[in-house]
Amino acid sequence: MNDLSIIPLLSPIIFLVLFPGGLALILTGFLYEWLDHKLVARFQNRIGPRWFQPLADAIKSLVKEEITPAIVHPSLFVLLPVIALSGALTAGLYVPLLGLPPSYSFSGDLIVTFYLLSLLTLSMGIAGWNTPSHFSLIGATRTLTQLFSYEAPFLLALLGPALVAGSAASGSAASNAGALNAWTIGEINTFAANTSWSALTKPIGFFVALIGLMGKLELPPFDAPEAETEIVAGAMTEYSGRGLAFFHIGKSVELVIGLTLVAAFYLGGIANPLEFFIKTIGLLVILALLQTILTRLRIDQTVGLWWRYGAIAVLAQWAIWIIVTVIQGNG
Amino acid sequence: MKLEQALQKSTEILQPWNQEGSRPAPNRVDFTVQPGDIAAIGAALRREKWGYLAAITGLDLGVQADSLEVLYHFCEGAAIATLRVRLPRRGGVVPSLYADYPAASFFERELSEMYGVTVAGAPDTSRLFIPDDFPDGLYPMLKDFDPAALKERPAVAPIPEISPKSAHFIIPIGPQHPALKEPGHFEFGVDGEIVTSARMRLGYVHRGIEKACEQQNWIQDLYLLERICGICSHSHATAYALGVEQLAQVEVSERAQAIREVFAGLERIHSHMLWLGVAAHEAGFDTLFMYSWRDRETVMDILEQIGGNRVNYSISVLGGVKQDIKPQDAEVIRKGMQFLEERINHYLDIVTTDRMFLQRTRGIGYMTREQADYLGILGPTARASGIARDIRIDAPYGLYHRFPVSQVIDQAGDLEARFRVRLREIIVSTHAIRTIIDNLPEGELTVRVPRRIPAGEAISRLEAPRGELFYYIKSNGSDKPERIKVRTPSLCNWTYVLVSAIGRQLADVPLLLAGMDPCFSCNDR
Repeated sequence: MNDLSIIPLLSPIIFLVLFPGGLALILTGFLYEWLDHKLVARFQNRIGPRWFQPLADAIKSLVKEEITPAIVHPSLFVLLPVIALSGALTAGLYVPLLGLPPSYSFSGDLIVTFYLLSLLTLSMGIAGWNTPSHFSLIGATRTLTQLFSYEAPFLLALLGPALVAGSAASGSAASNAGALNAWTIGEINTFAANTSWSALTKPIGFFVALIGLMGKLELPPFDAPEAETEIVAGAMTEYSGRGLAFFHIGKSVELVIGLTLVAAFYLGGIANPLEFFIKTIGLLVILALLQTILTRLRIDQTVGLWWRYGAIAVLAQWAIWIIVTVIQGNG
Repeated sequence: MKLEQALQKSTEILQPWNQEGSRPAPNRVDFTVQPGDIAAIGAALRREKWGYLAAITGLDLGVQADSLEVLYHFCEGAAIATLRVRLPRRGGVVPSLYADYPAASFFERELSEMYGVTVAGAPDTSRLFIPDDFPDGLYPMLKDFDPAALKERPAVAPIPEISPKSAHFIIPIGPQHPALKEPGHFEFGVDGEIVTSARMRLGYVHRGIEKACEQQNWIQDLYLLERICGICSHSHATAYALGVEQLAQVEVSERAQAIREVFAGLERIHSHMLWLGVAAHEAGFDTLFMYSWRDRETVMDILEQIGGNRVNYSISVLGGVKQDIKPQDAEVIRKGMQFLEERINHYLDIVTTDRMFLQRTRGIGYMTREQADYLGILGPTARASGIARDIRIDAPYGLYHRFPVSQVIDQAGDLEARFRVRLREIIVSTHAIRTIIDNLPEGELTVRVPRRIPAGEAISRLEAPRGELFYYIKSNGSDKPERIKVRTPSLCNWTYVLVSAIGRQLADVPLLLAGMDPCFSCNDR
């Protein structure tokens, strides 16, 4: 038998566990987490951590004892971190990680990816509800409240480029299949690479997507769900050891995926690893700057901000885009 | 004269109780009253708007005399009116002053747990400082208290079962909590994100310093008292030294007094900058925290250069100061003050213009002048509500009459105003320090203070960074004090947190707490 025949069988496992998903994604997550911490530290006139700090933190958490509180649903307590991390890692299979084409692709994978990413936030919310600690309960309420505030504007901001790509594709191919294909992240990425940067043509959408990502990752100023001066670690208060490490790694992974999505959609796509690193790190610098100069918002202020300004801004962006398309179509 | 008028007025108010009043010191008037009249007299003083309740001091006159004395100190500007009440050593009862002076609640709780005096009509009679497992019927400040009795402590009450469905959803803050750098315990009842109730418990690091002082000699006490607080150590040492010098009738040289004032200014600067960083951190603005603490190092370095220490710098000693300010030190101070003035102006600009930050401070923790006066608030927190209450100006001690500081006052009464007041006070201090070191008077650093201090009692008040620091010192003529009472400004300001937190968002609570610049180690002395 030809030895090469097992390669197609192995490749999904490699995609999932080693590269570009799984291990490679987690390590990239650590790298980006370190970069974020280091940049914020330097902006704040501090030294900041060494490059292996997130990795060391994760290993340390993983080897520590995991304490299960007395009054929790035990299987839920154990399962939620796994669900959160696997959701984030699965999402990594549909995005152009490290500048490579997505490992898997199907029509509408943008929506699936989006909800896989929300799985982490949802798991954290349920994890908070599951524990009797009052800090956790308040944290969970805030996590979920925040989810409902940024989710819609963030999704709408990411759907904008998808619709542009879709209408362009259906215009050229004149077939239904073409329009459907445009709802894949890979297609949007390719389309973005061939057109001018959406960040320039649709600045409001870009801005909302970037701020939405900060909300999703609970970075300052949207860190009310884990505001240590009020509710210690929020929903995560009762987690230790493995569970805490999984949630933590999940967040680092989401940081990479979120940056990749915004860069692919708004910064003219990601065609190769070099472009990937330049564009995502560029975005990370902006995120670190915003984290440095902004004060934490109260949860009511976060909700107000998103529904009063975020949602309206992104809808205005859509309106502008529709009007422009109609005028161009007529002309 | 204002002082005379105030003292005259207090005598008039006390007229219905047939009180003549004695004058133990030019700025003091003492009235001996019946225990039952306290509440009525307190109400009369409040009605006439005569000052505020500064402290309640308990005194054990000894087993032989078989009586306690309770002193109620009221202050108006430089004038101090003291109501003296005689009680039996066991089973004494005084009425509560809570209705007219909410801050009295803390004083009364301390009095009852330390001396076994029952306070009738007090809203909260639970323990404030001493531990829950402390045996009943033992009162540590009584002269015949025997620590051996503590060896047999009752078993600690079991921790109540956690009930997830309790009627009140309580957010406990402390004794160990990331928002608190020192241990204290607060229970905030919340309905969603809104705070509906507030309780507090202190004493987690209570060291019994007041009691310990009675067993050490006058010199040793200086170092003990300096360690009440790591931030305002100089204020404690100076307040004590001023009181003892007053008793010993020692005149300290002008140079020593000027050096004390320089250090008081430096202490105020580093205390307020520390507060700025902590408050910014509580609000979730860590960048300001990091920068303000970096710049604070300027002061810490100056303190280290002159005094040799960054925290307990031991500058004030009985009869003067320990270290001189040399010309090269003066140069470093001048440069440092110049630098800090620029930086503080920059921070002042940030906290009054940064819109995100103002969302967390403007209009929050609002306290009117009347409220602040009623609650008996002191220090910068009071001045941010428009109360001109500053001992350095009202009752100048040391060289404050020669090198005065200008009054910083703000009418807004919210958290933003408290930022403005404290930052402006830093700027005022930088100016005052430069004026003093440019005109440093000549003189000896120390004068001799006798080992045995003549019998008598003294009250010394000074403006610590957090507000009025009140010392009552009683000597029996020996080399050890009979009683030292320390009332720190934080103790008077707690009521503001408990009152203003209700109805606010939970997210505002850490900042409200920080707004008064609480010092737990000052309370738990």
